[in-house]
Formats: sequence, C-alpha cells, structure tokens
Amino acid sequence: MNQNSLSPELLQKAVHSLPEDNLSIMRLEAADRFSNMGFPVKGSEDWKYTDLSQIADLTSQWLNGSMQENAVDRENHNTKIVESVTDSIDAHWIVVRDGVIDSDITGPNGTTIKKISTVNKKIVTGNDAMSVFNAALLRDGIHITAATPLKKPIGILYIDGPPSVITQNRAIIEIEEECQLQVVEVCLSAAVGKQFTNTVTDFSIAAGASVNYVRIQDRDFEHTSVNRVNALLEKNTIFNYNGFDLGGALTRNDIVTEIAGEGALVNLNGLYLASARQHIDNHTNIIHTVGPSTSTEEYRGIISGDSQCVFNGRVFVAKGADGTDSNQYNHNLLLSERAEIDTKPELEIYADDVKCAHGATVGQLDESALFYLRSRGLNLEESQRVLTHAFASGTLSKLTVEACYDYLTDLLDNRLELLVGAAG
Amino acid sequence: MLEIENLKATIAEKQILSGLDLSVNAGEIHAIMGPNGSGKSTLAQVIAGHADYEVIEGSVEYQGHNLLELEPEDRAREGIFLGFQYPVEIPGVNNAYLLKAAVNAKRKHQGQDEIDAFEFLKLAKKTMELLDMDQSFLNRGVNEGFSGGEKKRNEILQMAMLEPKLAILDETDSGLDIDALKAVANGVNSLRHSERAIVLVTHYQRLLDYIEPDYVHVLWEGRIILSGDKTLAHKLEENGYEWVRTTVSS
Repeated sequence: MNQNSLSPELLQKAVHSLPEDNLSIMRLEAADRFSNMGFPVKGSEDWKYTDLSQIADLTSQWLNGSMQENAVDRENHNTKIVESVTDSIDAHWIVVRDGVIDSDITGPNGTTIKKISTVNKKIVTGNDAMSVFNAALLRDGIHITAATPLKKPIGILYIDGPPSVITQNRAIIEIEEECQLQVVEVCLSAAVGKQFTNTVTDFSIAAGASVNYVRIQDRDFEHTSVNRVNALLEKNTIFNYNGFDLGGALTRNDIVTEIAGEGALVNLNGLYLASARQHIDNHTNIIHTVGPSTSTEEYRGIISGDSQCVFNGRVFVAKGADGTDSNQYNHNLLLSERAEIDTKPELEIYADDVKCAHGATVGQLDESALFYLRSRGLNLEESQRVLTHAFASGTLSKLTVEACYDYLTDLLDNRLELLVGAAG
Repeated sequence: MLEIENLKATIAEKQILSGLDLSVNAGEIHAIMGPNGSGKSTLAQVIAGHADYEVIEGSVEYQGHNLLELEPEDRAREGIFLGFQYPVEIPGVNNAYLLKAAVNAKRKHQGQDEIDAFEFLKLAKKTMELLDMDQSFLNRGVNEGFSGGEKKRNEILQMAMLEPKLAILDETDSGLDIDALKAVANGVNSLRHSERAIVLVTHYQRLLDYIEPDYVHVLWEGRIILSGDKTLAHKLEENGYEWVRTTVSS
C-alpha cells in the first residue's frame, strides 16, 4: 500500500461493472494485486521525475462516481477525427474508442485479428503496477496474429474520452516465423478535458520475422497517458520502433525489448515535442539476453515553455551475451530557459565481448546557422522554425512505415509552428 | 550606394574597426585587402548585421538610409548579400529549400509573387552550370559535407539567385584550387552589372587576376589607409603589407 493506492472495494466494484467474460478472472486477480501495489509513487526508482498522484486521485473520484462526465457530441466529433487519420494513412484500420473495439475487425488474408476476450489463451499480465492496473480494468483488447506479409500496415487508432475518463487499451501482436509486419498506432483524444489512458502492447516476434512499428501520440493537452510496449525477439528478428510524442499533459512511455535469440536487431527512434507545461517521460529498456545481437537507439527532443522531459535509456547485457553491439543517443534542443530535460543512460554489462556506446546532448539553436539563414532573408522566427524542423527531421528520416510519412510531416509542421511561436 | 563614415566597431569589447571610411557606387567593384586581423571580416559582418559586433561610432548609409537599424533579414531583402568566409553547414535543411525561401522572402518584400517552381529550377540549373556545380547539390543539406570549393560555389549560387544590389564576398578565394577559383570568378564576373556593386574582401591578390576591381583599398588596424586602382594590388603583392605602412607613414 502507498499514498497512491486505491480502495480494494472501489476496484472490485469497478471490475464487476464490466461484462462477465473470459477476462473476468484476470481482472479480479489483477484488481486484487493492484490494491496492494497502488500507482507508482514519484521519487521511486523508475518514477523519479514523473508524478501520477493526480491520476490516482482522478481514478478514485471516477470509481466513486463523483466524477462529472463531460457530455459531448461524441459520435459526430469522433467520426471526423477518425476520418482525418484513416483517410490520410492507407492501412487496415482497427478503431478503438474509449477502450471499445469496433465490432468489425476481421483481418486481411493471412492475418487474424480478434478481441482478446475471444482468444482462448491465458493473458500474461506483467508485473509492473501500470500493467496490472490495465489488466484489472481492461474492457477488451486486440489480438493479432500475422502469418503472411501484408502490403499495407495494420493501423490501430486509439481515440479516447470523454465521457469516458479512464481507459485501458491492450494489444497483443504475434508475428509468426519469417513474416514481416508494419503497425501504425495513432493515439488521439476525442475532446478536451482531463482524462487518462493506460495502454499495453505486446509484440512477440518469431524467428526470422520483422516488425516496423510507428506510434504517434497527439493527444489533448489535458490528457495523461501511460504506455508500455513489450517486445520479445527471437533469433534473427528485427524490431524497428518510431515513437512520436507530440501531445498530452503527462506522457510516460516504457519501451521494453528483450533480445532472446542471436542475430536479433532492435532500433528505437523517438521524437518528443513539449511546450507549455507538458511532461514527457521516455523510459527504454533494451535487454540483450544473448549475443551476437545489435541495438541502436536515438531519441530527440524539442523542449520549450515550462515543459519537462525525461529520457532514461537502460541497456542490459546479460552474462554470456557476447558480441552485443549497442549504441544509444539522446539529443535535446532547448528552446526556453525554463524548460527541463533529465537525461540518463543506464548501462549494465555482464558480458565480456561487448561494444556499447552512448551519448547525450542538450543545446540551443546554433547561432551561426540562425545568422546565416537571416542573412539570406529569412526572418528570425522562420529561421528558428527551419532549424527546429531540421533537428526533428533527424528522426523523421528513420521512419520505417512509408504510409504514415505525409500524415506525420503535416502533423510535425503544425506542431513545430506552434512550438517555435510559443518558445521562450 | 554604400557610404561608411568613421565606423568604429567592437566584438566582445575589443575594438576592431577604428574609424573606417568607404564609399561604394553602383556598378563598381571594390577590393578590400589587408593582413590577418586588420578588420576585413568584421567589416563584412557589420554590414550584414551580425549581432556579435557592436557599432560604437560612425555611420553606414545604404541607398540613403541608415543601414545599422535594419535586422539582418531586412538588409538581405533590401539587396545586401554577404558571401561567407566560412559558409555554415545546416544538416536537415535542403539546399533548394533555402534558395527558394530566400528568393521568395525577397520577392515578398518587394511585393512580387512567389517564384514559380519551374522558373526557379530553370534558373538554379543554369547558374549551377555556369559555376560547374553538379545539380545534386540542390537536394543536399545546406553545405552539408561540401568541400571548401563547393561551399564557395554554393555562396555564389545563392548570390546569383538573389541578384543583390550590393554583394560583399568575404575571402571567397580562400581554400580554392585553381579550377574552383576560376569557376567562382566566372560566376562573379557574370554578375557584374551597372546597378550592382561588389566588394571583394581578400588577403591575396590572386583573386583579382580573375575579377578585375575598379578600386583597391588597404585595410590596416581597422581603417582604410590607402586606396588606388588595380595596380595597387600588384604593388602589395610585390612588396607586402609592411610596404604600405612605411609608404603611408612617410
């Protein structure tokens, strides 16, 4: 129990309000565990800078029924937002509104898409508090099995609240041997207002398979999200991750990849743009259980206003994982004196024959480049925008799912425009 | 076009220019020569409006207006072009993008429509041919990974596209092999125009074999101490800068 714990009675009541199905037992067990765990407390080892106490309060109020739900014209509003994504990115879309999966989700040829509640398999809950919380209140999730490569990516659009205040999303994605899969995940808010989304995504990648996974989070500035991605890589597999965090009040990502087979490759590339009072916390954990194996990681941040960002990159090389090659970089562009970045590499190496490099930079826009652009007639703000964009393009150039390129560049253009305009 | 009187300027509280006078008219090419540290680059940077340099005395008039109160971008839009001694590498910014943005910033300032994409490409390609530049440079990052010669050619390409009224070329010849020097000189000569003034800032006489100046000035300890025609450059080359000092003081 801690100060962020929830009352067991409230949790039980919430679980019982969900439909009785194959997931009921999982929920009850998880609710029981979570009552003892509580939400992570700021200052604890993995949550040094990120504070979920407001979310703990919000959850209590919501479960109490004392939370005012914001009535909005959800259908119409939602439809427009959904179309803005599904029309721009050519993919096999699955739309999940407030944790409710659109009914028609049969997959394209060679791919099976089901609701988790209809899959006869035990769901592994995970041991961290937020995964347990997710399991306790999960309405349903998506289960994808990919056996043959598709031309188009699978798209998952999470569009949340209000009136729902707290949403759990879950996706389990299995890629069978030698298969290639592209996944685009877009996370949006249906309307403005305080809300909380907790998402867990599991990839299991069988020998010789590869995954290109792009995650775009552009939620409302009052929306809090906690997001966890677990990827398990077998022999000769590739996991490419491109994460873009543009919106949200408070965002916490945990990307955990475990290399369990030799010859596997993990590439993590992240971009976070924070302004005003946004808080974006990226925790990554790359576990090299066996070697030879390779991981590369580059996170870039553009941080302005009073925002705070966190990057914590852990690389763990197990005893005997010889031939591990790993590099990790975190570059930050600070556009305001009040903005803050806490960046920390965390290397734990227990093997002998290992190459591990890491580096972090924090800086402002290059004055000489600014003057150069201005001397060519671009005004100060435009020059700042161009250079900021150039910084961000370092991540965009590593995008592995072509289908979302245009959508992303538009999104980034608009967001950077705001960011530079509001810098200082 | 450009009237500089008694210009005194400092950088980090160190005085570099100490009462410089210079008058440049349309259609003229001026060469400003001087040893290292005499203030050549400072003069170029002050005219372009670099914020690190502070003008503490004197005046700079450009086309009858006080130049010193204009922002760097407004100076550019009014027709001033600085060819950098060390062009800045800007990875992630496309060369063609910058060229086009620069051309359009100026056109907008003059109340013209944006340049047509086809027109732009035609003009850029023509100029690149003259400068012996491969067209692939258009799609690369601004100066990113360019050799010294490529960077200087890129400066002249920008100059040609922007059609300035007053171009100041800061050590455009430094670090160039003979082929690059000829290509750059070709480019500059093709831009000679009765309504355009060009100021060449250079340490060596070599560039002036290819671009013939109307006037040559010697800059020494922050002031122009001697002016003449192109023959002055040859005398300098023969006798060195010490000769100027003895000539002037005697």
